[in-house]
Amino acid sequence: MGYVDRELTELEVLRMEEHLRECDSCSAELEGFRRLKEVTQNMRVLMPDDKYWEIYWSNIYNRLERRIGWILLSLGSILLTSYGLYYVIARLLLQGDIPLAVRIGVVALVVGLCTLVISVLRERIFFSKSDKYERIKR
Amino acid sequence: MNLIDEGSAIERCKKGDREAFAPIVQKYMKPAYYVALGYVGNPEDALDLSQDAFVNAFRHIKRFDSSKSFFPWFYSILKNLCMNHLNRLRRRREDSIDEMAEEEGQVPIPIEAVGPEDRVVQKDLEVKIGQALQRLRPKDREIIILQHFQDYSYQEIANLLGIPMGTVMSRLYSARQALRRELERMGVSY
Repeated sequence: MGYVDRELTELEVLRMEEHLRECDSCSAELEGFRRLKEVTQNMRVLMPDDKYWEIYWSNIYNRLERRIGWILLSLGSILLTSYGLYYVIARLLLQGDIPLAVRIGVVALVVGLCTLVISVLRERIFFSKSDKYERIKR
Repeated sequence: MNLIDEGSAIERCKKGDREAFAPIVQKYMKPAYYVALGYVGNPEDALDLSQDAFVNAFRHIKRFDSSKSFFPWFYSILKNLCMNHLNRLRRRREDSIDEMAEEEGQVPIPIEAVGPEDRVVQKDLEVKIGQALQRLRPKDREIIILQHFQDYSYQEIANLLGIPMGTVMSRLYSARQALRRELERMGVSY
């Protein structure tokens, strides 16, 4: 390969040429690679327009910046929702005229919801790297 | 940007300076695109995935040893993203009865001729070579794009991919054989 791409040292080139004089199969293979290189040497992979490269960095920067925004938004939402839920449930449970079944139902609903959320989060965070259905052929 | 400048830029990134990441992105955005294109074979996806990789790299920059070259570390992030993308596409093709999903990602890699030969080289040879490239394994396609089409030297490829020169040569050998076999199978004469 180095011979085709002119990546060999002078000594390596001499050794290569000596071998090629004696080995027809290597010569033929080398000729094939040379033809391939000749055909493709003036070809380039089409690049995206310059405008994409001009905005490349700003796309990345905006995404990095937005991540902080999303984190703050999520934290704020969780805090406000949690406080709101706590306030409503506490008022509900403290009211004497609410039937016991309703109070138990509310507590069960909240505990069940929290359990589900924690379970899903745990699965996503800790087990998302392995797909348990990977070995099952479709 | 030499290794020392790169190292100091990364140290600033580790302290949360997003602007310090700009010269690193500018330096490596095109090689990142070529590597991603080699893996996924689709220019739009390659552009998106290369940007995703830079975002991920910045998020995990504290794990990086700034005394070493950035790209080989970044390359592993990019490669993982590309392989995940390919796995998602494969699962979608397996699940979908839609023919469009079957053909997704099978568009020829866009190739253009430059220089005086562009009048001689037939347009459909470019398309055929793009199709043949698309059918190669990602590893083969990646190294062909870097060496054949973008003229990176063996040393540059070795530095980019974090592999020894000998590995560059052996991968290039098998990639060229694969490309020749594919072109022969397609009946392309050149």
